[in-house]
Amino acid sequence: MSSVRRRVSRKEFLRLGGSGLAGAALLGTVGCKAKVRESGGGGSTKKEGLIRLAVVPKAVGFAFWEQVRIGAQCAASKHKAVEVQWDGVTSETDVNGQVNLLQNFITQGVDGLVYAATDAKVLHQVSDQALEQGLVVVNIDSGTNPQPKQVPVVATNNVAAAARITRRMAEKLGKGGGEIAFIPFQPGTETNDTRTEGFKDVLKKNPQLDLVATQSSESDYNTALRVTNDILTAHPKLSAIYAANEPGVLGAAEAVRRTGDAGKILIYGWDTAPDEIKAVKEDVVVSLVAQNPFRMGYDGVNEAVKRLRGGDSVKLKSIDTGATLITKDNVGDPDVQSLLHPSCDNPPI
Amino acid sequence: MTATTEEQSRSTIRERLSGVVSQLAAAGALIVVFVFLSVASPVFLSADNLFNIGVQTSYTAVIAIGMTLVIITAGIDLSVGSVAALSGVVGVVLMTKAGIPVVPAILGGVFVGGICGLVNGLLVSVAGLNPFIATLGMLSVARGLVYIPTNARAVFGAPDSFRLLGQGVIGSIPIPIIVVAVVATIGYVVLSRTKLGRYAYAMGSNREAARLSGIPIKRYLTAVYVISGALAGFGGMIASSQVDSGQPNFGMGLELDAIAAAVIGGASLFGGQGTVVGTLIGAFLIALIRNGSVLLDVNIYYQQVIIGVVIWVAVLWDQYRRRRLTAAD
Repeated sequence: MSSVRRRVSRKEFLRLGGSGLAGAALLGTVGCKAKVRESGGGGSTKKEGLIRLAVVPKAVGFAFWEQVRIGAQCAASKHKAVEVQWDGVTSETDVNGQVNLLQNFITQGVDGLVYAATDAKVLHQVSDQALEQGLVVVNIDSGTNPQPKQVPVVATNNVAAAARITRRMAEKLGKGGGEIAFIPFQPGTETNDTRTEGFKDVLKKNPQLDLVATQSSESDYNTALRVTNDILTAHPKLSAIYAANEPGVLGAAEAVRRTGDAGKILIYGWDTAPDEIKAVKEDVVVSLVAQNPFRMGYDGVNEAVKRLRGGDSVKLKSIDTGATLITKDNVGDPDVQSLLHPSCDNPPI
Repeated sequence: MTATTEEQSRSTIRERLSGVVSQLAAAGALIVVFVFLSVASPVFLSADNLFNIGVQTSYTAVIAIGMTLVIITAGIDLSVGSVAALSGVVGVVLMTKAGIPVVPAILGGVFVGGICGLVNGLLVSVAGLNPFIATLGMLSVARGLVYIPTNARAVFGAPDSFRLLGQGVIGSIPIPIIVVAVVATIGYVVLSRTKLGRYAYAMGSNREAARLSGIPIKRYLTAVYVISGALAGFGGMIASSQVDSGQPNFGMGLELDAIAAAVIGGASLFGGQGTVVGTLIGAFLIALIRNGSVLLDVNIYYQQVIIGVVIWVAVLWDQYRRRRLTAAD
């Protein structure tokens, strides 16, 4: 069996490789202008016909983002000729994935992006790109860093709300204070960092609260359960847990149930997934910060439409969609219920 | 003696033919999907969209080429996603905190990937660990190593010129595409014309026979994993360049995309089969499905199902092909 193909000797291979690299370097230096690609586009944003908006959460699959979707689609339904295209990546930490998705939407020719940035510093370049192309951009829940002037943020004032719930925790623990654990979800994302900021601000003013453990849930329920278990093992005298979002609260609640500490270790946290509300009713969780994700989607879409229909003269302003502290006492109230189960017929606005 | 050689040459030709047929099948699928999307979506053929596809596929393609080499040896490298993240972060840290200029920092990232590959290779060839297990361990170790110094936070501050790697253009050709073309060409030459390539196929087809015919298994098997690690590192640098930061969470599940691309392109997990061209076809097919799904407003979950089904079809075809080969003998 004769192999006609010549084998490349090591010398030849190195020569080949060397000349290849040299060629590439030459190309580079001879200033075949390598630059970052700027997509063409621009033009006035006033639009008369069908408006197509891409509404993109940080990730699909959480109750919170589902409510954003309901709000967005509700807003669209109240306008003539506005369509919402909802899509997202499957993990809140998939930054590259969200960037790719948004770029694909820009290419697809949507008129506006209404989105929640997974990573504040990375996503600002996508906002810039979209603005250059003449799209309208609105951030919901999480903005970018830096925040472009033309891009409003429709979100909760996380710092203030985090401070409020931490003060509640301090009041409940009383003058004796106690050991507390903190479960953030994604350092670097704006909502995570602002909820941390508000929390830590209050801690500074309350030295009787001793922060003994900080473990990220990575926005994943199973991870939250695991780290909370480990925290409980390491700190048997723990008094309270502050979890900065839905998976963290769910994981912490399940962990204390399993060790029999439900009700003894106070849990405070964010978001209002059905299991979290159940935990409040069962006294496993003391209080939750309820945001208004419905309103984020609703106002986000409306702002974008306002600008698209009105043209460049319309200035968009950021909106604080508000926060409500939910406890066993008020969970049955009608406005709280409307907040928890928003629908287009019963909008919590 | 002659009879065996004839048989061997016949089966080699048959193998090569069926390898080509498998590539043709994948290429055919790619063309069909491409044509379908051109017709179904008015923006598919736009310069912007084709640019996006090229750029978004680039790091997967580079990593998949490395994975192909490993799969040819009947091995697997599950660590490429974690290694890509580690390299991406190290590269950006070198550029920022250590103040090293961009190109050496990129090479530094690739080097880190190569070191991870070296560890994998030694575990497989010297310690005799199953590649699945060895690289599974590296998947965890590399991911942990990138979390420790960064606390899972992204690293920013890279100089503007770094963006050229993943987002730049020369004229109207995206730089990441040029990078893929260069890597693919080198990969093709290595696989088809060098000792390393030939030995890789030999080790994958029949490890014992390769050893008995005097191939220094340990050396070449380790080299294969080093290359896979280095290419994973390079892919990680490209991805970092696209988001202008080192992302510690990058690449989770990326190894599966790389394996899928190689397998769709004709590589066999039993070893001895696989080509760079096939892998590129596989990578672009997956990218087209993803890109097309957004353009056509298909839910992301359906994309997952479609890609999984494509993998099944590719692997079933591969098995059918092998069964026919052995049956004919």
